[in-house]
Amino acid sequence: MSDAALPALSRRARFRAEHAGTLRGARFFVWTFSRSPSALLGLALVLAFLLLAAIGPWIVPYPEDARGAVNLGRRLLPPSAAHWFGTDEMGNDILTRVVVGTRTSFWIGLTITGLAALVGVPLGVAAGYFGGRIRTAIMRVTDVFLAVPGLVLALAIVASLGPGILHGVLALTLVWWPGYVRLIEAKALTLRGESYVEAARTMGASHGWILARHILPNCVSPIVVKASMDMGMAILAAASLGFIGLGAKSPAPEWGAMISVGRGYMPDWWWYPAAPGLFIFLTVLGFNLFGDGLRDTLDPRSNRG
Amino acid sequence: MLRFLARRIGYLALMLGGLVLVTFVISNVTPADPAALAAGPDATPAMVATMRQEYGLDRPLPEQFARYVGDLLQGRLGRSIQTGNAVTEDLLRYVPASLQLVLLAMGFACAVGIPLGVLSAVRRHSLFDHAVRVLAVSGVALPAFWIALLLQLVLAVWAGWLPTGGQLSIAADPPPVLTGMVLLDSLLAGQWGTAGDAAAHAVLPAFVLSLPCLASVLRVNRAEMIEVLGSDHVTAARAHGVAPRRVVGLLALKNAMLPTLAIIGLRFGWMLGSTVLVETVFDWPGLGLYAVNAAIAADFKPVMGVTLTIGLLFMLANLLVDLAYGWLDPRTRGA
Amino acid sequence: MDRRSFLSGAVAAVAASSLDPAYGFEREGSRRILVFSGNQPVPILDPHQRYDWSTRMMQRCLYDALVRYEGTPARIIPWLAERWETSADGLRWTFHLTDKARFHDGTPLDAEAVRFSFERGLRLNKGISWMLSRHLKPENVEAMDARTVRFTLERAYPDFLAFLPLWFVVNPKQVLANQEGDDHGQKWLTNAEAGSGPFRIRRWDGQGVMALEAVPDYWKGWPMAEPDRPAGVIYRVVREAAPRKAALQRGEVDVAANLTPDDIEGLERMPAMEVANVPGAAPFAIMMNTQKGPTADLNLRKAIAHAFDYEALLTIHKGQARLMDGPFPVVTADRVALDMPRRNPDLAKAYMAKTAAPEGGFELEYLHVAGLEVQRQIGLVLLAALQPLGIRVNVVAQPWPTLVGRGASPETAAAMTAVYVTPVTTSPDTVASQYASSAAGQFWGIHHLRDAEIDRMVEEAAVELDAPKRAALYAAIQRRVVDLQPVIFCMTANQQWAMRNYVKGFAAQPLNLTGEVDLFPLYAARA
Repeated sequence: MSDAALPALSRRARFRAEHAGTLRGARFFVWTFSRSPSALLGLALVLAFLLLAAIGPWIVPYPEDARGAVNLGRRLLPPSAAHWFGTDEMGNDILTRVVVGTRTSFWIGLTITGLAALVGVPLGVAAGYFGGRIRTAIMRVTDVFLAVPGLVLALAIVASLGPGILHGVLALTLVWWPGYVRLIEAKALTLRGESYVEAARTMGASHGWILARHILPNCVSPIVVKASMDMGMAILAAASLGFIGLGAKSPAPEWGAMISVGRGYMPDWWWYPAAPGLFIFLTVLGFNLFGDGLRDTLDPRSNRG
Repeated sequence: MLRFLARRIGYLALMLGGLVLVTFVISNVTPADPAALAAGPDATPAMVATMRQEYGLDRPLPEQFARYVGDLLQGRLGRSIQTGNAVTEDLLRYVPASLQLVLLAMGFACAVGIPLGVLSAVRRHSLFDHAVRVLAVSGVALPAFWIALLLQLVLAVWAGWLPTGGQLSIAADPPPVLTGMVLLDSLLAGQWGTAGDAAAHAVLPAFVLSLPCLASVLRVNRAEMIEVLGSDHVTAARAHGVAPRRVVGLLALKNAMLPTLAIIGLRFGWMLGSTVLVETVFDWPGLGLYAVNAAIAADFKPVMGVTLTIGLLFMLANLLVDLAYGWLDPRTRGA
Repeated sequence: MDRRSFLSGAVAAVAASSLDPAYGFEREGSRRILVFSGNQPVPILDPHQRYDWSTRMMQRCLYDALVRYEGTPARIIPWLAERWETSADGLRWTFHLTDKARFHDGTPLDAEAVRFSFERGLRLNKGISWMLSRHLKPENVEAMDARTVRFTLERAYPDFLAFLPLWFVVNPKQVLANQEGDDHGQKWLTNAEAGSGPFRIRRWDGQGVMALEAVPDYWKGWPMAEPDRPAGVIYRVVREAAPRKAALQRGEVDVAANLTPDDIEGLERMPAMEVANVPGAAPFAIMMNTQKGPTADLNLRKAIAHAFDYEALLTIHKGQARLMDGPFPVVTADRVALDMPRRNPDLAKAYMAKTAAPEGGFELEYLHVAGLEVQRQIGLVLLAALQPLGIRVNVVAQPWPTLVGRGASPETAAAMTAVYVTPVTTSPDTVASQYASSAAGQFWGIHHLRDAEIDRMVEEAAVELDAPKRAALYAAIQRRVVDLQPVIFCMTANQQWAMRNYVKGFAAQPLNLTGEVDLFPLYAARA
């Protein structure tokens, strides 16, 4: 078939033709994903919270309440039309604070997951791909960090550094990175044994080229699945630290800190800790369902029911 | 088998060593002055300087580390500023209380999770199955401290069905200290009234603690059951007319044991960590509450002590799970 | 296994949680045991090592002192000492002891025991020692005979008597018998007692439950009728306010301290509860660093003092507080009422204009004790109040020892630190000294004020024997303190306790520390 016989295609059609395989894969992915109602629910929740995080501060009824306003005249009011979730001990609207707190929680979750992946993935790849002593050394260090339950280790680190969101994020990153090492190490190990990798080595490809071309791209889906589930769990862990009293300083509207203060107002003003807790639950639920759905779609062989 | 055990123990010792190094590093990056904290708020600068010398805080770091390890090997974990006791003494008092909760939670998770998971697989796609799956997902997503607060509010304060907190009513006679676990001790000593009181106090914290483990056990058992039910030899057994219940009971449960064991081992550590949250809500005098009070008061020695203890307990639990695996499934012994 | 009693135990715990007992829980025979609950443990019981409100409360049950505070306003009444005299030059104080007092082991309490105790307190140089160490040397306490003790002071100190109720007498025989090496019995007295007081230790867990049993033949006698006398008293530590309140509501606890003003308001409305509301003596102040940082500028301090919303303090306390009308607490002798700064936005802006940064644009740190909700709320009020001036406030919670550690030197002290300073006596010298240079390093001197004139006046007034001259000196000191504005003078909160309505004998004592209650006269009225 000569070149002249090729019909002149529009840009869009040419794009479709060139990337036909990828487009088909994407369509299949979407179709599989949407077959699971729980995954769709998860996606809906995640999108809803992302939206709140993005535009929250602009749509809330009392924006100054998230910045330390004091309105002692309307403190501890029960939920009403004016205050859907009631007011807190300084007279601030709880709905406002919880919605603005969404942004705080999301950047906390994103930072922890992002940094943990940034540190853990290269180490995991190095361990799985190079093997030998490098692998032993990396895995041993990883195992030490995994020897203590995450919350306890984070508590110890934050106790030492002092309370505050930044210290909490740092502590939780240190707790989270081993998970990525473990995950990617197993994957990289498997990939290294693949025939095309061996073939590339025999043809003289450098390690860097193999890593970039064959190993890393195939690690993307497990990372994405883990990261999406980790977002929820990281937010929960950060809120847990806040609940203990080692989280954000007043008047920052962080969910865990709000529950911690609100606890002192139970049971008479029970609505105070109920709202932030509900938001935490829904966020974590959303990310968990979404991550589950992603995993079932991207890697159906790991049949976990 | 023995070689397997020896190798595992050696590995555990190495991990423990690493953990000791990590806790040392953590306690040395603190911006607060440990000598000033130890000397207390009424100390003069001279007293602080004496403290610094006494604790060897002016020596080079490697020397301090050697000292730290030496102290640990002799069981000296320092002194808590808050309680005034040796940390080791406090730990021995609080570990049984936390263990009691965790063991009760694990027991509950298995007792409820295994049958529910199995039933859910047998009646796959039914409403029951969906409800169970929702429970499984929620159990992990629920913030432990939030559900603890809500249950405390509804069941203890509003309904008054259960006590709001603590291990025992102040009116109850405490049992003699045999294991340190109040429920067990009162049962062993035959103090039935106290045992009942202790049980009533343990219900809420143990339940809240068990939720994520319950969820995991549910999922694993359900998944295993589904796989087993679809496998060849089960179909063959059915074809030969073996009663379905026997099929389920003998084959499936045995297969589900291994993964359940693994889950429990993993969740044990998570549960130990969650005591920090649950004990705070229920004023339960265990490791978690001890660590939280110390952390808030910038009292480091107890926090490090608790970290090491929980780490050790977790490693031992993993060791037990590994051994059980090795015993049940000889294929893993070579690893 | 006796399933029935197991179940009945569980049911009892459950039933008890829903019962609202009219008579309360604890009893022994026909006598009641009263249960008091607060948030602070008692790690060290030794009366010469440590004092804070929970520790003092227990020490008062177990030990006696030469004299005691009683009533409102507080006045000194004889206790171990029946009468006393002072020499004309104010240097020698002679006390005559009662012959009835006995320690718990039966040993009579004589002058030697008193001498031993004062010497121990001064030599250990901890806790209460600062109150007398400037004016009394350990060797100048003499036991003249079995019932007479003489103190020879370094210089005349009229306030000497005011401190004596806090100095307890320990049993030398027991202390010497239980000491380790040369620790003067400190380790043993940490959780044991060697006293003569109305109670004995039955079960001691300084972090949890401290059970004391009454001494029926207490040498001083009991203030209530013998059939009403309790069998004992228990102090139960519950760190969180919510479970403490719940325990009170269910009758597991008879008296609860450290409740928030919101809690008290709710409890007051319940028929089974009674709330004791006592005007407090401990002023709350926000101490500003007068040596370093932006607050070293007097104009900025004045600006902040006039921007602060003082009315909000009253709202936070639900009206159960009094704004300070003078720098000295109400209980202090020779105090005067002055014109204190109140919220005045225009005046605040005027002062601000005279500072180095009239538009603000900087941040000040506000340090408070972690876990104290009221202090946190006050911080938020401060934050909102300074926003119009362009000043940002960083509200930081820290544990008390860390906070005090930071405040120890001007370089590390925060711009603003929240502190309650309880005047433990009526002595004006103690309060005035808080603003002298000698206060640096202690928690009442976090402002690090250095003023030569105040120092001079404080020295003079301390030894001035002529009453009107003293009064004039202290008045001048108070005026100068207000002028220099080293702190934001806030309020004195009422001290509040909630108790079941059958608790009787509760007596307010203005010089008690925070949650401290005199447990000796408490009893439960029979139904």
